[in-house]
Amino acid sequence: MKIPYSWLKEFVDTRLSPAQAQEALTMAGVEVSSCRFLGEGLDSVVTARILEMRPHPDADRLSLCKVTDGSTTFGIVCGAKNMKAGDAVALAKIGARLPNGVEIKKAKIRGQASEGMLCSEQELKLAEASAGIMILPEDTAPGIPLADALGLSDWLLEVEITPNRGDCLSVLGVAREIASITGEKVVLPDVSFPEEGAPIGDLVRIDVSDPDLCPRYTARAVSGVTVAPSPDWMRRRLTMCGIRPINNIVDVTNYLLLEVGQPMHAFDLDRLRGGRIDVRAPKEALVFTTLDGSERKIDPGMLLIRDGEGPVAVAGVMGGANSEVVDGTSRVVFESAHFSPPSIRRTAKRLGLSSEASYRFERGVDPAGTVYAADRAVSLLSRFAPCFVARGVIDVGGKSVTPRTVSFRPERATRIMGRAYAPETCMEIFGRLGFPVADDGTGTWNVTVPTHRFDIEREIDLVEEVARLSGYESIPTTYPESKAPEFSGDDRFVDVQERAFDFLRGRGFSQAVNFSFVAGRTWERLGAFLGFDPADAVRLVNPISDDTTLMRPHLLTGLLSNVADNVRRFVDDVRLYESGKAFGKSYAGGHFEEPRLGMILCGKRFPGDWSGADASADFFDMKGVVEPLLLHLCASPVHVVPTRLRPFFEEGKAADILRDGEVVGWFGAIRKELLASFELTGPVFYGEIRLAKAAASPPPPGQYEPLPKFPPVFRDVACVFPAGVPVGDVLAMVREVSAEVEEAGVFDIFTGEKIGDGYKSVGIRVKLQSLDRTLTEAEVHSIHSKIVNLLENRFGGKIRTS
Amino acid sequence: MPGASEQITRLLDEGMAAIAAARGESDLLDAKGRFFGKKGAVSAILKGIAALPAEERKAVGEMANRARAGLESAFDARLSEIREKERLVREGRERIDVTLPGRGPMPGHRHPVSQTMSDIISVFRRLGFSVQGGPDVETDYYNFEALNFPPEHPARDMQDTFYVESAAGDLVLRTHTSPIQIRTMERMKPPVRIIAPGTVYRSDSDITHSPMFHQVEGLAVDRDITMADLKGLLTEFCRMTFGPGKPLRFRPSYFPFTEPSAEVDIRCVICGGSGCRVCKESGWLEILGAGMVDPSVFGFVGYDPEEYAGFAFGMGVERIAMLRHGISDIRLFFENDIRFLSQF
Repeated sequence: MKIPYSWLKEFVDTRLSPAQAQEALTMAGVEVSSCRFLGEGLDSVVTARILEMRPHPDADRLSLCKVTDGSTTFGIVCGAKNMKAGDAVALAKIGARLPNGVEIKKAKIRGQASEGMLCSEQELKLAEASAGIMILPEDTAPGIPLADALGLSDWLLEVEITPNRGDCLSVLGVAREIASITGEKVVLPDVSFPEEGAPIGDLVRIDVSDPDLCPRYTARAVSGVTVAPSPDWMRRRLTMCGIRPINNIVDVTNYLLLEVGQPMHAFDLDRLRGGRIDVRAPKEALVFTTLDGSERKIDPGMLLIRDGEGPVAVAGVMGGANSEVVDGTSRVVFESAHFSPPSIRRTAKRLGLSSEASYRFERGVDPAGTVYAADRAVSLLSRFAPCFVARGVIDVGGKSVTPRTVSFRPERATRIMGRAYAPETCMEIFGRLGFPVADDGTGTWNVTVPTHRFDIEREIDLVEEVARLSGYESIPTTYPESKAPEFSGDDRFVDVQERAFDFLRGRGFSQAVNFSFVAGRTWERLGAFLGFDPADAVRLVNPISDDTTLMRPHLLTGLLSNVADNVRRFVDDVRLYESGKAFGKSYAGGHFEEPRLGMILCGKRFPGDWSGADASADFFDMKGVVEPLLLHLCASPVHVVPTRLRPFFEEGKAADILRDGEVVGWFGAIRKELLASFELTGPVFYGEIRLAKAAASPPPPGQYEPLPKFPPVFRDVACVFPAGVPVGDVLAMVREVSAEVEEAGVFDIFTGEKIGDGYKSVGIRVKLQSLDRTLTEAEVHSIHSKIVNLLENRFGGKIRTS
Repeated sequence: MPGASEQITRLLDEGMAAIAAARGESDLLDAKGRFFGKKGAVSAILKGIAALPAEERKAVGEMANRARAGLESAFDARLSEIREKERLVREGRERIDVTLPGRGPMPGHRHPVSQTMSDIISVFRRLGFSVQGGPDVETDYYNFEALNFPPEHPARDMQDTFYVESAAGDLVLRTHTSPIQIRTMERMKPPVRIIAPGTVYRSDSDITHSPMFHQVEGLAVDRDITMADLKGLLTEFCRMTFGPGKPLRFRPSYFPFTEPSAEVDIRCVICGGSGCRVCKESGWLEILGAGMVDPSVFGFVGYDPEEYAGFAFGMGVERIAMLRHGISDIRLFFENDIRFLSQF
């Protein structure tokens, strides 16, 4: 909210300068984000009057003006055409430095001396654009600093009000805060005025049929008023605060909204059918046109102001077109009511219509302030617009407003804040706040809270008042007593994650962070390739854009589009990983989210290699990352099996990773169709690990086994298998042949004409070892035979003898 | 033996010359064989010494032994010389260009947000806090209600919320990691000392706001926790994160789940307090929100506010990462441009 300092001074004649007020309010919890001098750059700009004006002898577009500031006459060359002799204008004298940065110097323009400049609103930064120079009101006296003439010798404070402090959404509220800080007094303007009209009860009848939603409804009325522009000073203040002046009646209501925080509404009494107002929520839905011209769908339960026949306003939110003040209006009812905050908020939300009024009602408006606001409104109006104020005030529900009492123990403030607060200190602070205190000597006080402070209901709220008004800087710094920290499952998860990050970093992978939401339409379109199950999708009700409609079912698309983006930027060798959650809802327990680690890899196997081995990365480069990573994290064996369940991988280049029979991850070559839809061509490899499952339990400590004392024997077997035989299975079985088979590995694989189509030759090296003896030739031979037997009979292999 | 001494002198001269002339190790061994090896000329003289008259034996023996010792030491010296020379030649031949890149990948890069988050977590773990996580898709109860945001309360406008489709209509993407406070307190009795890092979501997007970002929330509940403890802890955290000599400023603010509440500002890390664009000329940077746990929150989890007190604090990780690394546009964090990531 924007508040002119001069307006604040009308309510509290504070000794604080604008800058001091900014600092003091901020440190008391009412943040003033800026404090700007409005007359900035207007130092040498004064009001002046044009004495005569004639064309420039040598330039068609220019004119020569003689202007006076009341004592001196200046010759000015001017390029604008919108002025005439007698006009009051803004004169920038020699030496002025305008708000737009222009410095005014003595100049000769086409041979004619110019002793200053006549300014436009735009040049003075008073408007975004202007058609010519600024013409001031006719009655402007020459020679006054322009800032004074325009009321710009003032500061504008921009105040950020937290949702609990609705009472500060006004000049009066912020003035009260200043008074609470400094101990100065708030003075309310006098609201006396003559009541010369008919009794208000003769003019309008007011009923409140839903008093729960409208605990108080106050009204004043005037007659014989002429709708006209309001005075300059009022228009200026409204404009400064961001409200567009309309006419004297509407401006007065808006002025009061800003001044005391009471939203008001003005009805044209002659347009209120039956001369009555009824405050009630409809039982059935209806359509109503608000004064901004929009048709609003009103649901049952939304509070309306009705006249004798139908709705005339959405209570506390916006008035209706059918009853607003218009040019010919002469009789006006001013509404100054108190509405229930949740009801206003519900209505404003449902209508998608937040107004200055609804914003304040939601946050709480002082129910005790309605009469003062109504009085102040008619008093102001009657000062500049002749009218008859109806006698009396209508005040439905006015008797029910009583201030709240809250108990308070000074000792409690000390306990919470960790700083001693003497009872006298607390007492003094409550005094500044205007909270009467009753102390019966029991150590528990009864503090009476004024009705404008909605936020104070409990002792802790009073503790906060004491703490903030004695300054947080007075709180010492101590340290909480130390306790041995817990080590939670999430601590372990964080550690595991860090180890994974370090491992991947060492393997040349950089870390990506993508949004958890993805573009639903991409997933729908590529559903078959992404394994997308629409029934399992977690969708947003109100996404910020089409790209964020769905919570990602897995991490692939984010990383894949990162690869595409980087390739587009001429980075071809990409290695990225991301740690984040995947979402679904079909898993047990309804809702599902799981931490995953995704890895993506493309380009050269060894970027920057100079040895001539310019190989592209392949499936086994990804396997060579995923498998050791899992061993690094959980140190228990994992099992890689071919899979057909991952449609985002090329068939035949896809594998699942099992740990203790459970799928803990998968990896493979990303399917061509997917690559194409991301405008990628080269092979891209992807792996995803279910991080929490992969590292679910810490590995048990390794157990020592005696080291062999006898030499091992190595045997190589070359064997031709049908191409489909999985070598991993062969090796696993070979290891089971006898206890002496310590290790079995592949040292060579090849295919080709010599071997025959549909076959592959696999070289297997076996290490034989006994713990208790040197193996004899006969034993080695026997094991070797068993292995050959296995390869031939179990896997259809043929031993190569060459 | 007439002329034995002359003979020794001659052998010594010849031997020395042969050693000096040896070009390689084999020349040298050859010279050794000829002059002072087991079958060499000097050895032959020593073997023939028994045939000499007794009065000459001693002198000739001593002379021969001296000659052999002299030759041996010359031999050793020359051998070292030759080997050193050969080594230099070989090494010169086998020299490689050590400035060529090593084999295997250079390390990748940690994402600055993730790194900052890790650093924050490790500071608080050192200060005795334990990590707790929670779901990203939260219920209205945990995200708002139990944190003292009543339905229809304007405080809900402080956080633009993403709603998630659900039958009951009560699911949201968590707007802060504060729901973890509630979940933790429901599960355990004080003392509680946790930090809750995580991804959070708000419907807001510009150069300083991202619809998804990261937070670290902290909570401590015990019998004697005070706001002074909160001040002490956060002062220590800022010292460990931003370095010493950066004063903090606590100013009153409002969060529904803490009271009293504070915004914590640090002396601007860019201008040092003189005023700049980053701190909007104020000399201070807002880095976190904090306060004493509101008694209503204790009410939701069944803690007695007369017995226990607690503090909570929360910070945006991106904001701190932006300050640490001088990044002005939050959107860079989510583009995953390798040229950006490689800078950290």
